[in-house]
Amino acid sequence: MKKAISITSLNYSYPDGTKALDDVNIEVEQGEKIVIMGPNGAGKTTLFLHLNGIIRSDDGNVKIFGSSIGDMKVEDRIKEVGVVFAEPDDQLFMSTVYDDVAFGPLNMGLSEEEVGRRVKKALATVGLEGFEERVPHHMSFGQKKKAALAAVLSMEPRVLILDEPTANLDPKSKADLIRVINDLNRNEGVTTVIAMHDVNALADLADRVYVLNRTIVAEGTPRDIFSDPVLVKENNLDAPDLFKFFKIMRCFGADCSQTPMSIDESVTVMTKMIESLEGELYLTVDENTHSLVNEIIASYRH
Amino acid sequence: MKYPEIDKYAELDSVIHRFDPRAKIITFTLLIFSFVFIENLGVAFLTLLFSFFILLLSKIPLGFMFDRMKPGLIFVFPFLVIMPFAVEGNVLFSIYGLNITYEGVYYGILVFVRAATSIMFALTMLGTTKMDVTMKSLYSLKVPAPLVQTLMFSYRYVFVFIDEFISMWTAMTSKGFKLKANKHSLSVVGNIVGMLLVRSCERAERVHHSMSSKGYTGESRTIVKFKMQMTDYCLVAFLVGIALIFKMYEMSLL
Ligand SMILES: Nc1ncnc2c1ncn2[C@@H]1O[C@H](COP(=O)(O)OP(=O)(O)OP(=O)(O)O)[C@@H](O)[C@H]1O
Ligand SMILES: [Mg+2]
Repeated sequence: MKKAISITSLNYSYPDGTKALDDVNIEVEQGEKIVIMGPNGAGKTTLFLHLNGIIRSDDGNVKIFGSSIGDMKVEDRIKEVGVVFAEPDDQLFMSTVYDDVAFGPLNMGLSEEEVGRRVKKALATVGLEGFEERVPHHMSFGQKKKAALAAVLSMEPRVLILDEPTANLDPKSKADLIRVINDLNRNEGVTTVIAMHDVNALADLADRVYVLNRTIVAEGTPRDIFSDPVLVKENNLDAPDLFKFFKIMRCFGADCSQTPMSIDESVTVMTKMIESLEGELYLTVDENTHSLVNEIIASYRH
Repeated sequence: MKYPEIDKYAELDSVIHRFDPRAKIITFTLLIFSFVFIENLGVAFLTLLFSFFILLLSKIPLGFMFDRMKPGLIFVFPFLVIMPFAVEGNVLFSIYGLNITYEGVYYGILVFVRAATSIMFALTMLGTTKMDVTMKSLYSLKVPAPLVQTLMFSYRYVFVFIDEFISMWTAMTSKGFKLKANKHSLSVVGNIVGMLLVRSCERAERVHHSMSSKGYTGESRTIVKFKMQMTDYCLVAFLVGIALIFKMYEMSLL
């Protein structure tokens, strides 16, 4: 099977000399959910500009489904990858939401009915039904973010790339967005690559995590990454609260074999742990408990 | 600060609102062009009255409309003041050796009235159609795409620009900046104007990226669905007829 994304030794410096990417290597299988984490200025947005063919790398370092992004025709490229950037005002340039969401499909040369169908579907997916005739300057930031997402979804790309999609969304919208991404991934096999800082929402969106800090400094499951406090601290990251909580539970004598990453998983872990102890869980405090707890807290604190 | 939102009342319902947007653009442009060449002050006043009548028909709140007309009128106001002195002719009276002429006053008022008429027509036209519909009509009237796109983006991003200006201004005043007539103030204001320009250049680049990542290659493809009705043809005939009547009336006065 062809890799959805394959980036090999990618380097990039901005014209002013800032070295933004240094020997970056990334491989993504079709249908995977990838999260890219890294401090501010790590090069995440710069990397995404490459995935879209906006910044060209001439040596074919960036391949989508086996073909070099620089060699792809525009119509082919937009069917394969769609990138949603963080700033919605830059991505909604037409006069109405309808025109913005229809922009990509029209450029793909689709029929009017098909364009209409896609716009309707994309707006329904992000929960913006009835916003067709709205103008961008009359919408809230979160609504504009959703519209910007719809404008990419309407092209129905096989690889969906999102730059900080959850930033500035209210909790419900954030949960909705996570569900939309997961549905697309599960039901339509869309490969997703997301840059985000929100570690507590990460586990739902990541099969695998890359930590980018100009170059790839680590790669692994969310659990692998967060279990390494040094790595986490060195890259301005943090571990999810739940993850730290279960590590602290261990200091109080809870014998959980696995540290859960999400609320759902924590239920499974707790149940398994308590069942293996014949239905009762004992927690204790002894002379070492608090020094162990402090050690864990300190290991993640900046 | 107010947004220069011209199509705020485009959702109202009136004869002018229902007028086919393409027919509206053509007839209104025709009216404007025929009225700006009127030489007779009396007839010019009649056309002003007529444009006011059309404005009333459109049901757009007058206060809103006069507010939007102000910038344009302020722009032509100097003509009203300068022309009485500048045009030679029969001296009405003189102040400090400067002659005010009858012709000067006549042409000053004429220019002002013509401008008011055109502005009122143009704004009624823009104010009764949603901006995106106006743009699409321009496309379908075969106005060159680069021109329409320039108009469209100017209108789209002027709001973003104002928001950016406001947020920078708020940031400055909340850090204690007060606008005074001194060198420091001037250099700060110069700085923020520069920043705004840089930001809009960078934004233009990002918008272009975003367009090309949606397959934009320079062609514009939009869905346009307009259909002329009988009432549209009647309205065109009526308005063009009025323009002709004014023209003929003026000629009969010569
Ligand atoms: N247009 C530009 N010109 C010069 N340098 C730039 C430009 N855009 C970004 N940079 C620099 O490149 C580096 C990577 O920036 P990038 O925007 O990719 O980071 P990021 O990981 O997306 O950060 P954040 O989490 O803050 O969004 C930074 O050091 C930044 O200052
Ligand atoms: Mg970024």
